[in-house]
Amino acid sequence: MTRLLSLVTLLIAGLTLSGCKIVFDEDKDTATIPNGPDGDDARNQARIDETFDTRLTPLITSKALPVDVLRSEIARDIASAGAEHANRGSGQGSAWNFPVSGQGQVIEANLESRARTVSVDVNGDGQADVTLQLGPVVRGTALRDAAPFYDFDEFRDQIEFAKLARALNDKVTGELVVPETDVIGSSVDFIGVTPLKSADDPLIVTPIDVRFSQ
Amino acid sequence: MKLTKHLLGAALAMAVAPAALLADTIAIITPSHDNPFFKAEADGAKAQAEALGYDTMVLVHDDDANKQSELFDTVIAAGASAIILDNAGADASVAAVQKAKDAGIPSFLIDREITATGVAVSQIVSNNYQGAQLGAEEFVSLMGEAGNYVELLGKESDTNAGIRSQGYHDVIDQFPDLKMVAQQTANWSQTEAFSVMESILQANPDIKGVISGNDTMAMGAWAALEAAGRTDVIVVGFDGSNDVRDSILGGGIKATVLQPAYQQAQLAVSQADQYLKTGSTGLDEKQLMDCVLINGANASSLETFALK
Repeated sequence: MTRLLSLVTLLIAGLTLSGCKIVFDEDKDTATIPNGPDGDDARNQARIDETFDTRLTPLITSKALPVDVLRSEIARDIASAGAEHANRGSGQGSAWNFPVSGQGQVIEANLESRARTVSVDVNGDGQADVTLQLGPVVRGTALRDAAPFYDFDEFRDQIEFAKLARALNDKVTGELVVPETDVIGSSVDFIGVTPLKSADDPLIVTPIDVRFSQ
Repeated sequence: MKLTKHLLGAALAMAVAPAALLADTIAIITPSHDNPFFKAEADGAKAQAEALGYDTMVLVHDDDANKQSELFDTVIAAGASAIILDNAGADASVAAVQKAKDAGIPSFLIDREITATGVAVSQIVSNNYQGAQLGAEEFVSLMGEAGNYVELLGKESDTNAGIRSQGYHDVIDQFPDLKMVAQQTANWSQTEAFSVMESILQANPDIKGVISGNDTMAMGAWAALEAAGRTDVIVVGFDGSNDVRDSILGGGIKATVLQPAYQQAQLAVSQADQYLKTGSTGLDEKQLMDCVLINGANASSLETFALK
């Protein structure tokens, strides 16, 4: 009931604020989502439809720190840097999820794996500073955990919560365009999220946007 | 009555600092300590409670909901300040926890959830799904993303068996060159895993890996593989036991996933302390606790379900 109400409120808010097009059969879909595990995917899809473009992408984009700033902030004090710039995942001992952006040169690539990655040098010293996950298999839950508005208490259980993370990863990597050849040496612009527990963790980024150019 | 006691306690605490807390007792109720995992929980809770100046009552319910209910009666009669509980059944435990709540004793749950919210103050639960994904990611990379493998399942009646299996498959099934040739339960048992593994090996000599729902089954499977001269097979477990740690350090089993039982119990006690002093933990009731991958790189820091 509360959920339905908030959905209606959201729809009205959307209508009055942005005048964007409302697709009314969403309402019908919500009503037919089963309560148990069978409804996990549909509920998560509804969450993504509601939040990805309107809340998640703007959040990550607006909070993203350049790689060198992120490095120096976490070196000083990861807890205060996290409180200011990141969101902590739902779990004791879980990582701070920092939005991060950068531009650099690809110096290593593993495109054979199902979990494709490229390593990027952002400061021109010839060393890899950041690893970008390019999917189709993406490790971790960084995109979900970057957002304070995906609250574990609102999920049926840990499985439904995990499925949201996977669905977010799949949505992003499904839209990435990765060059088939000559990736090494190309330049790349990226924005995404990196989960960090300590200041010397490697920066492994789950991107929401990656652009390669020669 | 309870309020008076607290007000009095607070006044005394201000006057003579920690001495006033010594009168308070925290009850710690878990399954049998025969399983080192539950012993680690009880030890962790006891150590933290004592460090915070509480007396402790350590009890076991042996996964028997009736016994658990009797223990709650005992604890209530003894006038404990708070209860730390790893419960004996998600449905059956709700009434016991409610009974304590009605008597003014808050409960703090660890490891396993109950099916109601608003009855316990905290439910701190290992994120089994996240842990299984970590284990599976390590398994996939050890397997080189290809090859035949076997999955050993836990006891079907235990929800964590299903959650872990789903977490494994969420990752592994994204790699089309990994083929599951057998999936069988060994009911969390080491001896059962040994015999199950023996027969699977006869039918499928071409396996490259085994992923197991817990560490005891991983130990049984590894013993069977060793007996068959198949120490080339990659085995990954779940729990972070000292047995598997030793196997990893000796070049046997390759990895496991630590459920931080000791730390989880300590956290529950800290929240109980906070709640008793301030009337609130300041946290959500249901809290997930992340699991940690253990492999050759960090196994030597593992001791009794905690990373040193």
